[in-house]
Amino acid sequence: MKLSTLLLRLLLILAGLLVVLPLLWTLLNAFKTNADLLVSTPKLFFTPVWDNMDYVLNRRSVARALVNSLIICSSAVALGALLGVPAAYVIARYKNRVTREAQFFALSLRFLPPVAVAIPMMVIWLGLGLYDSRLSLIVTYMTITVSITIWLSIPAFERVPMAVEEAARVDRLGPYATFFLIALPIARLQILSAIAFSFILVWNEFLLAMMLTTSRAKTLPIIASEMSQLGMNVPWGILNAAVVLLSLPPLILLALIGAGMNSAFSRKSAQD
Amino acid sequence: MRQRTALPYLFLGPALVVLVILAAVPTIYAVNISLQNRTLSAPDADYVWFANYLRLFSDDRFLNALWVSLKWELLTVSATMVVGIGLALAMFEAANARWRAILCLLFIIPVLLPRVCAAFVWKFSFHPLYGATTWPVRALTGETPDLLATPWGAMLAVAFVDVWQWGLFFAVIILKLLESLPPQPIEAARIDRAKGWEIHSFITLPMLKLPLISLVLVKAIESLRSFDLVYVMTRGGPGISTETLDMYAYSQGFIEAGNISYASSMAVIMMVLTVVMFTTIWKRVQK
Repeated sequence: MKLSTLLLRLLLILAGLLVVLPLLWTLLNAFKTNADLLVSTPKLFFTPVWDNMDYVLNRRSVARALVNSLIICSSAVALGALLGVPAAYVIARYKNRVTREAQFFALSLRFLPPVAVAIPMMVIWLGLGLYDSRLSLIVTYMTITVSITIWLSIPAFERVPMAVEEAARVDRLGPYATFFLIALPIARLQILSAIAFSFILVWNEFLLAMMLTTSRAKTLPIIASEMSQLGMNVPWGILNAAVVLLSLPPLILLALIGAGMNSAFSRKSAQD
Repeated sequence: MRQRTALPYLFLGPALVVLVILAAVPTIYAVNISLQNRTLSAPDADYVWFANYLRLFSDDRFLNALWVSLKWELLTVSATMVVGIGLALAMFEAANARWRAILCLLFIIPVLLPRVCAAFVWKFSFHPLYGATTWPVRALTGETPDLLATPWGAMLAVAFVDVWQWGLFFAVIILKLLESLPPQPIEAARIDRAKGWEIHSFITLPMLKLPLISLVLVKAIESLRSFDLVYVMTRGGPGISTETLDMYAYSQGFIEAGNISYASSMAVIMMVLTVVMFTTIWKRVQK
């Protein structure tokens, strides 16, 4: 083996460790007592305790935030998919000026700085008496979910071969049947990963949730960030436990995202 | 020929209507509020027209935030691209299919983590007394380095976490792009005994120029969403050395003064800057 290859492999291993080690370390820290955690020389061996997890899981604020997060995120994502996936199909299949502009418009929503959305949204929801409600966050999050679902589903539908749809039409399938029975099933893996991605985006969302909620509709990231302000000392063990729990849903969706990315790139190269 | 059908209108229409409403209403509201002197405590307000905007340009803290945001953009975008391209080339040259699959899965993880989590993971790791990253320094010199207490240290530490999330993710995308290139030019160059770095700097990377520019844009857009990282790691400190525009707008509008009109005028300026800038660049790149 050449020296350069060896060095490159070393670099890759280092990069891989840079991902694995901090996460494993956080997982370990979540099961340490403060006496084991707050030491000058990091401890690798210790007696694990369930106290931190117990504390986080049994707090009423966490339970409420979990319910909020689940309801808000899944509603916004479901609505985003319901509106976004059919729209993406039209943009992918009917190429003209209107659909091109629509595609760019969906993308350009991402150009908006979140704080520029949060401030007026706050005034609007205050005015409507819906401030700090789940509904207000669901509607606000639809800006994110609809546009990202459109944006990521367009390439998925573009990769459905035109010939298959032509064949469906020859078999006297109507345009709606073609969409539901042909295009959607063929593109389903990438569409699912697009929807999963939009779920992760809103699950992780912080700034809008922080500015648009004060107590009732708080989501999990806000609660997690508030745990650093409990009392005088930062409760690092509890924080680590909260970090682990908050990170679980995105990590569960990892496989789906990975598979979606693989199919996105592989099919494209196969077609070219 | 396509059949005549209402499908395009029925499928695209609702989504567009919703998006237009969700984009237009807040924008109009933001402009409207920014022309008033509204605060969170008082319900009624008068129009002061452009007074907020004029005040902004003599506000040192705003100019500082503008400068911090610019530094943040340049730092994170360039570092992300360097890391992304570097690791992608390393995988392309030195990893077989199986290792590529494993590394790709690993490299996607950080970007999927909630940024609040990523920020906490690294904040504790940088902790001067108990952190794992600072431990070697403590063990060797006995000092307790507080990275987040110095202006540049804080900036670099926050940028590091951002690049940890995005640089590794971009490495995966760039690797996929490299794999989708036709193999013939690369093989021809190898036969001509071109070195690895020559192949990439003269053949593969120039072939990927357009997608790479698009990635730069995507990262520039995503770098605007730095609030959660900065909020958790430094709260804009030490002093105001990592106070980006959204951080300052937040503290003006919600924490210190509740001066929602002033914050709104800042938001409008950010909105105009980013939308105009990104739209022109994006349209030019796509042509």
